[in-house]
Amino acid sequence: MPEPSRPARGHTRRTVLKSTAVTAASTAFLPVAAHAEAEANVVGPSAIAPGESAEITLSVNGRDRVLTVEPRVTLLDALRERLGLTGTKKGCDRGECGACTVLVDGERVKSCLTLAVMRQGSDITTVEGLADGDRLHPVQEAFIRHDAFQCGACTSGQVMSAVACIREGHAGSPAEIREWMSGNLCRCACYQNIVDAVADAAREVRR
Amino acid sequence: MRAFGYTPVRDPAEAVRVARQTPGAAFIAGGTDLLNLMRDGAQRHEHLVDISGLDLASITDSASGLRVGGLARMRQVAEHRSVRERFPVLAEALEASASPQVRNMATIGGNLLQRTRCGYFRDAASACNKRVPGSGCPALEGWNRGHAVLGGSEHCIATHPSDLAVALLALDAVVHLLGPDGPRQVPVGGFHLRPGQAPHVDTVLRPAELITAIEVPRRAAAVRSRYLKLRDRATFEFAVVSIAAVLELRGGRVRDVRLAFGGIATTPWRSPEAEAVLRGEPLTVAAIERAGRVLVRDAVPRPHNGFKVELVQRALVELLSGLGGLR
Amino acid sequence: MNVELVGRPVARVDGRAKVTGAARYPADDPVPGALHGFLVTSTVARGEVVRIDPSQALAHPGVVAVYTHADLPRLTVPTFPYIKGFIPLQGTAVHHAGQPVAIVLATTLEQAREAANLVRVDYRAEPPTASMDDATEPPHLPLPFRGRPNEITRGDAAAAWEAAEVRVEARYSSPTRHHNPIEPHATTAQWEGDRLTVHETAQGVNLTRSVLSTAFGLPPDRIRVLAPFLGGGFGAKGPVWPHTILTVAAARLAGRPVRLVLTRAQMFTLTGHRAEFRQHLRIGATRQGKLTALVETTTAQLSRTEESIFNESDSSSTLYDCPNVHVRQEGVPPDLASSSYMRSPETTAHFGLETALDELAWQVGVDPVELRKLNHTAVDQETGSPIAGKRLLDCYRIAAEAFGWSRRAPRPGATQDGDEHVGWGMATEAHTFAAAPADPPVTASVTVGADGRAVVRIATQDIGTGTYTVIGQVVADAMGVPLDAVTAVIGDSALPYAGVSAGSATIASVTGPVDRAARAARDAVVALAVADPRSPLAGVPADEVVTAHGHLFHVRDRARRDSYRAVVGRHGAPVETTGSLRNTPGHSYGAVFVEVRVHARLGSVRVTRVVTAHDMGRVMNRRTARGQVLGGVTWGIGHALMEHTVHDRHTARVVNANLSGYLVPVCADAPAVESHFVDHPDPASTALGARGFGETPITGVPAAIGNAVYHATGRRVRDLPITRDKLL
Repeated sequence: MPEPSRPARGHTRRTVLKSTAVTAASTAFLPVAAHAEAEANVVGPSAIAPGESAEITLSVNGRDRVLTVEPRVTLLDALRERLGLTGTKKGCDRGECGACTVLVDGERVKSCLTLAVMRQGSDITTVEGLADGDRLHPVQEAFIRHDAFQCGACTSGQVMSAVACIREGHAGSPAEIREWMSGNLCRCACYQNIVDAVADAAREVRR
Repeated sequence: MRAFGYTPVRDPAEAVRVARQTPGAAFIAGGTDLLNLMRDGAQRHEHLVDISGLDLASITDSASGLRVGGLARMRQVAEHRSVRERFPVLAEALEASASPQVRNMATIGGNLLQRTRCGYFRDAASACNKRVPGSGCPALEGWNRGHAVLGGSEHCIATHPSDLAVALLALDAVVHLLGPDGPRQVPVGGFHLRPGQAPHVDTVLRPAELITAIEVPRRAAAVRSRYLKLRDRATFEFAVVSIAAVLELRGGRVRDVRLAFGGIATTPWRSPEAEAVLRGEPLTVAAIERAGRVLVRDAVPRPHNGFKVELVQRALVELLSGLGGLR
Repeated sequence: MNVELVGRPVARVDGRAKVTGAARYPADDPVPGALHGFLVTSTVARGEVVRIDPSQALAHPGVVAVYTHADLPRLTVPTFPYIKGFIPLQGTAVHHAGQPVAIVLATTLEQAREAANLVRVDYRAEPPTASMDDATEPPHLPLPFRGRPNEITRGDAAAAWEAAEVRVEARYSSPTRHHNPIEPHATTAQWEGDRLTVHETAQGVNLTRSVLSTAFGLPPDRIRVLAPFLGGGFGAKGPVWPHTILTVAAARLAGRPVRLVLTRAQMFTLTGHRAEFRQHLRIGATRQGKLTALVETTTAQLSRTEESIFNESDSSSTLYDCPNVHVRQEGVPPDLASSSYMRSPETTAHFGLETALDELAWQVGVDPVELRKLNHTAVDQETGSPIAGKRLLDCYRIAAEAFGWSRRAPRPGATQDGDEHVGWGMATEAHTFAAAPADPPVTASVTVGADGRAVVRIATQDIGTGTYTVIGQVVADAMGVPLDAVTAVIGDSALPYAGVSAGSATIASVTGPVDRAARAARDAVVALAVADPRSPLAGVPADEVVTAHGHLFHVRDRARRDSYRAVVGRHGAPVETTGSLRNTPGHSYGAVFVEVRVHARLGSVRVTRVVTAHDMGRVMNRRTARGQVLGGVTWGIGHALMEHTVHDRHTARVVNANLSGYLVPVCADAPAVESHFVDHPDPASTALGARGFGETPITGVPAAIGNAVYHATGRRVRDLPITRDKLL
């Protein structure tokens, strides 16, 4: 279930480091450990010892979301498993299908290939955050209009990728759209309709 | 993925220091290959040092050449005006790489350090000398369609997957490093290591050493440069065969030519002998074919990758005849 | 009257949910307290588990349990649709690499995954056989599968072949391929006492229920399976696979809900595949190209535990008029995972047949389209009875005209455009769609509420083909209500019974029951209205009432009107009806024409133009039908040009168990497709004139591409995929 959202308060943590072997070996940890023991907040992303979790804040769809994760948690698993934002899909978990595409600071990225702890301070937009209330984004409208999906498993990623593709200026021709949308597999293979939808939405966005 | 620690760092010196002091540490920047390697069990790290916040992402163009920060993103470099105008081969190689999403994430330094796509290397349950030294190389007798015909050893024939490195090799780029012993520079041609007896060592990079920048010397001829990438689907795939070429013609003769190859060798591959065949000669299909034969003279084909010997020669004709205006 | 919705390109009713991320797939449903499961799989392909040491895994933070064969209760191995032959973790034998040997449960996904790496398993390994080529025993003829014999004989094929005026003999082959739906298989199992709820990526919620019922000895009515959306199946989620059973077992042992999602790599060994396949084909014909003999022996990869053959040769034995046929479907069992159904299973054998016909056409100098028309059959080749409503000849005509086939260059290798050879090829498409089992009958219910809205309930699935939309159209038409007044509730085994969404059977099997239930609901509401003194229609004979736009009218006096909402509102209780209807299997047909461009120097093949025409009876929804064509054509491109799974010859492990090694077409590989439909209702249909269709497109595409490559280059590639190394 989604965790309650809280106002941003910088990048905070409350980890108590137990792995003394590592802290002893690394001076970089010492101030952090000291702060942690003092239960004080540290500004800026801080070190986390192996096996420990840290409380981080992610700005997702315009809201600050606080969650506790280990460093090995990907942005994708943070969104799906911790924040309940299951619109973003896991297809391959290795950057080879594009189903997990989200926007980070306006750019499309594969959320399975980045760690949640590395995305503090970034603005993350998922498919759930694209519509303006009840009003769908032009790309979403165009996908429905052109039947640019079947099963829907790749659709969130396609839609997010399309939004960025248009913004990047890579939707000038069907051939260009084909190339620049090829980072998103569609096994139902609605590709032709996706190309039509992106071209159509690009016209709409430019208007 | 095993649990690992995490330290974000703010400057390169701190990065090197933390990495040196932390057992089992590795740098993470884009993370696009590292996280897969860790998930696959091909690499295990107790600690990741996050260098993505370092101020090493700038691109500057000067009289001496182009300097690209090690943390510049692939897209950033590909879109840079100087790159597109003066070093088209670089922009082409980058835009032929991976997917738009990954190009937004992956850094130039990380691109050079990406590891082979050999299926045996990526399968932790398989033997692989690159992953577990001494465990054997199943690719020699197994599935080797994607593997190298040049630069291999009896221990490993895995190809290096970077397109960018191939383009940089043709441009005689230099890799700037910062390590515990201070900064140093390595030509990109000397950066990647052939497998030899130690296939687990991919590059000359030392422990806790960081790629801070890539320097591409100014070369007027690089305006006439191109990247040809052949693969088994239209796009979003690693190269079966690729070639980066810089061609300088004067009066129909080859004044200078630089050729680098991907997909056919264990490292980004340069063939001075093949270049020598063309240098000073009129650019003709016959001359290019002669250069191609020299290129593959020492090729060791395997059951599934023998076609690369023929394909790379054809690709060379295709690329140079196009670049030289023969068609 | 209403303008009928059936047949129109109605937009998907689930579109908004899918483009906003609101659609909840089985791995999305929140299940409070669920543990994450992760499978430990065998690194060896043949042998035995000697020892499992879970101590390191158990010491990993967050790990709740590690279960092995020593922990699991003995379960009953189900038969079809469980096509594995054994349940893992029931013993120590290892039958293929990637077979589960333990399951780890932990609080987080990351913990479960890493702990699975920490389970130490010792094996006694034996050298495996990894390919049909290395099999020590010769191919054999397996026993009939689900009543279908593996040997078909008609006339005297051997003698007719010997006596034929013209002969074509060729060997065709294709490698292992994997479905790779974008959504990985996922199971979430939740026990409450002896009642079980499973959120499952299932093409058939009732199939999953029946398999679990058998495996756990639990009455079906204690099991509920939910799959409201499915992220692609293509056959991979039709059968039920071991991970489902193991997750359910683990949840029971742990006393906690468990969610398990397969990794992409695990999907390559745990969810079936299209088997590696060889085909030896001999065709005899007259000098004019009329078939006189067809002798075919195929060899498919079986497994040590499962003998079923899925790459069936239906096309060879039934697609064309041929008096003398002998087909043998043989198999060889290496130490690999069992194969299964994959979208249009006949495609592998169909490739050989349609390529051989092209070879025959060139040999006798007859146009490939004319050759197919010459051998067209209007009667069932096995029974001799007429095939009702078959309009394949229309498909040839429509597609050939649209493609401009008459301008085809008469010789191979004759057309060059710049650096590329241009070639055209065609093939017939054909698929046999299935019927749902007779017992229990497929049933739909329709409930009309006091708000006048209709809710249709049926335990079918929408695997992306558009079921939600099409059954909504059917109900709207049958009742005379707007589409947005209909809600379809599907993907739940607690609903009225329906079968699996496989074999292109969904629309064929559910349309009739849905239509009947909706008509019954309409009739029931009309009956209430005419019997209700408060209704303007009171006393009107029921057969003089028409319905449209949610209203009921007197047929001759439209001022006398009532509405569903008003009638049911006054009635004071919802009106609920059901409908059942059994469908029969049948065939859909088509023709596909393609243009390819082959780079003369580099051997790169591009499919640049595709025209199709299909005959599947009535087209229920032109958009969703066209979606199946686009998908099928692109699957055909993948099949013809790139897809192949590689097993290491020594270890029998999959070498390319990911989506960068196993290539599927990307957007830039997919050409523009011009699709046509004959769109003529099939009089024999129980589905408002429609037939099953989804798997018909693709069947001919690989051969059409190969035939076009031949036309472009003069090179005949009989071993798929047609990669550039075969064209240099």
